[in-house]
Amino acid sequence: MTDIRSVSPTLVQKAGQIACRACGHELAAAGEGWKEHAVLDEKPLGDAGGAMFRSEGNVLLRRFYCPSCGTTLDAETALPGEPFLIDRVDWS
Amino acid sequence: MDPMTFSIIRHRLFRIIDEAVITLKHVSGSAITNEGHDLMVSLYRADGSLLMGGVGFLHHLTSAAEACKSIIRRFEGRIREGDVFLLNDPYTAALHTSDIYLVAPIHFEGKLIAWSACFVHVYDIGAMNPGGFSPQSVDIYTEGFSSPGIKIVDQGEMVQDVVDTILNMVRSPEMVMLDLRSMIACNNVARERMQALAAKYGSDTVDAAGSELISQSETLLRARLQELPNGSWQSRQYLDVNGETATVRLTMTKTGDRLVFDFTGSSEQSRHAINCTKWASLGGLFAPLFPLLCYDITWNEGVIRPVEMIAPEGSIVNCTRPAPVSVATVAAIQSVNNAACATIGKMLAASDRYRGQATTVWHANHFAIFKFGRNQKGGQSIGIFTETFAGAGGARSFADGVDIGGEIPNPISRMANVETVEANFPIRYLFRRRMKDSGGPGLWRGGSGGELAVVPHKAPDGGIHYVISGKGARHPMSDGLAGGFPGAPNKYAWVKSEDGADVVPEDAAAGGDPVSWGVFPLMGKDALYVRWNGGGGFGDPLERTPDHVVADIGNDLVSVEAARDVYGVAVDGKGALDAQATQDLRSRRRAARIGREAAR
Repeated sequence: MTDIRSVSPTLVQKAGQIACRACGHELAAAGEGWKEHAVLDEKPLGDAGGAMFRSEGNVLLRRFYCPSCGTTLDAETALPGEPFLIDRVDWS
Repeated sequence: MDPMTFSIIRHRLFRIIDEAVITLKHVSGSAITNEGHDLMVSLYRADGSLLMGGVGFLHHLTSAAEACKSIIRRFEGRIREGDVFLLNDPYTAALHTSDIYLVAPIHFEGKLIAWSACFVHVYDIGAMNPGGFSPQSVDIYTEGFSSPGIKIVDQGEMVQDVVDTILNMVRSPEMVMLDLRSMIACNNVARERMQALAAKYGSDTVDAAGSELISQSETLLRARLQELPNGSWQSRQYLDVNGETATVRLTMTKTGDRLVFDFTGSSEQSRHAINCTKWASLGGLFAPLFPLLCYDITWNEGVIRPVEMIAPEGSIVNCTRPAPVSVATVAAIQSVNNAACATIGKMLAASDRYRGQATTVWHANHFAIFKFGRNQKGGQSIGIFTETFAGAGGARSFADGVDIGGEIPNPISRMANVETVEANFPIRYLFRRRMKDSGGPGLWRGGSGGELAVVPHKAPDGGIHYVISGKGARHPMSDGLAGGFPGAPNKYAWVKSEDGADVVPEDAAAGGDPVSWGVFPLMGKDALYVRWNGGGGFGDPLERTPDHVVADIGNDLVSVEAARDVYGVAVDGKGALDAQATQDLRSRRRAARIGREAAR
């Protein structure tokens, strides 16, 4: 039986892999960036969040989806060109 | 020490602070203190270390400890019973010049046994702009009176020449004097109650209880950290000011029973007054740490020991003199607080055991607007819109954020009622209400922020002016969690009357010219419109129970458009849920995410 450890409300670690909590799809090896293996939906926040989010700024809303089941795994705001925020849980 | 005595002393320390806070509020005549609760009272040990953190703005608990230690160093051999010291230099310990610390030694039978410290945001501090937030300042020298430590009460006697000198440098000296008196009274009550405690149990016993309390807190926090997963979590905050954007970057690393907050990569210090000093950053990160990780642990020196901060010198989070800092509490400090809240929230959410304690970022962006001018009674008034303290709660893993729910760093913040403001300023509110679609969408929605519009009313000079240090209109700052959206950004607008006609509420909410930084008029029939941010959302908006979305529409918290476009919820012409259309909408959205057709 494989240990399943929590990484976030949407992600788990099992058998050395980061996986979608909802469907179990494996995204990346533990310790590697998983966001590069998710579906990235990046658009101006004003287009994603509704009228109240429209502003003079050029901030983007990035949403990371599970490529298997479409669950939202994480979201972050960023200016164009910013690297992804990196969150790591060390279960070693 | 027997547990009963220990427990009694611990509770007495809590009550001493409560009583001191009540005194502070009763004596102060300032709305920012009485209504906004922009205050803090805490107790410190004889060496200045935090003994018992109080309520109010939690940014100050650690900074006031440094203020005590600085006074101990500066006045060695000259600290006597009944003294009160003033300190408000940000490069020594304070957050900004208008948040004045009054620090008072507590003696018992001739021996220094503790310190009490408190702050209020004084009515004015003599900076370039009235009210303390001074967006037009270019350095600390233009941010008003600033002292690294000065005695204003000597063995129970007011040092009148010193106090008069301070009052000579501020606007509305009578109100500033009231602020000072409120803090002196507060410290007097804390001193008297501590002396009574020492008289009953003995000063050595009280000190031993304090020492044990600190050890207990350290042990409990370290044990909690051991229960949380090791890892590192990142956050960033964009601060827009006058067309420029600065960034606070944080990587929080938890290893065993240690927590390191590393701000490497944050922007260089700004020419604008949004910077903060290292003591302020330390306070900023502890403000969310106390309530989120130590909700059942006494807030004292023991909580500080397992935590380390790395803040590069010369950066926006550890600026060097003479960089301006007057807006710090609502700028870099608040962003440090937000970033720490976000990373602590992620760490808690990573734990199956502690996920229920996780929160998204609450009210992340104060709008510091100080109105000033001649009032309807002929006097001068200066005061903040205390709605900035009304805030919005962040969503949790099990519930929505509280609408107009306050903020993390001040558990007792609140706003003045409209009538209080209208009684003291020549203005009239067109409206003040919750702001539709401002709460960050998510499985659990962020709490709604608010909006207000005011116009001049019975103003002898035709209106007033206001100082605005407005940020957060370009970038949202209340981050979501686990796929939740951030809360909506702020908006500040000067709505001009057309052809001398009154501005109607609908026009005030819809348009206007952006204002953000500096001093502006509110004259004639023009209006000032302000919208403040909602809390961050938690989880995927497509997973929010449709009935909750429909209820939000009914409560005017979510629009029909946002329900459809963001939550994937359709309603009919009467506002009732269209279950089939909702199911179709959500299926199509999910399928589109992975680039394949919907199942049906």
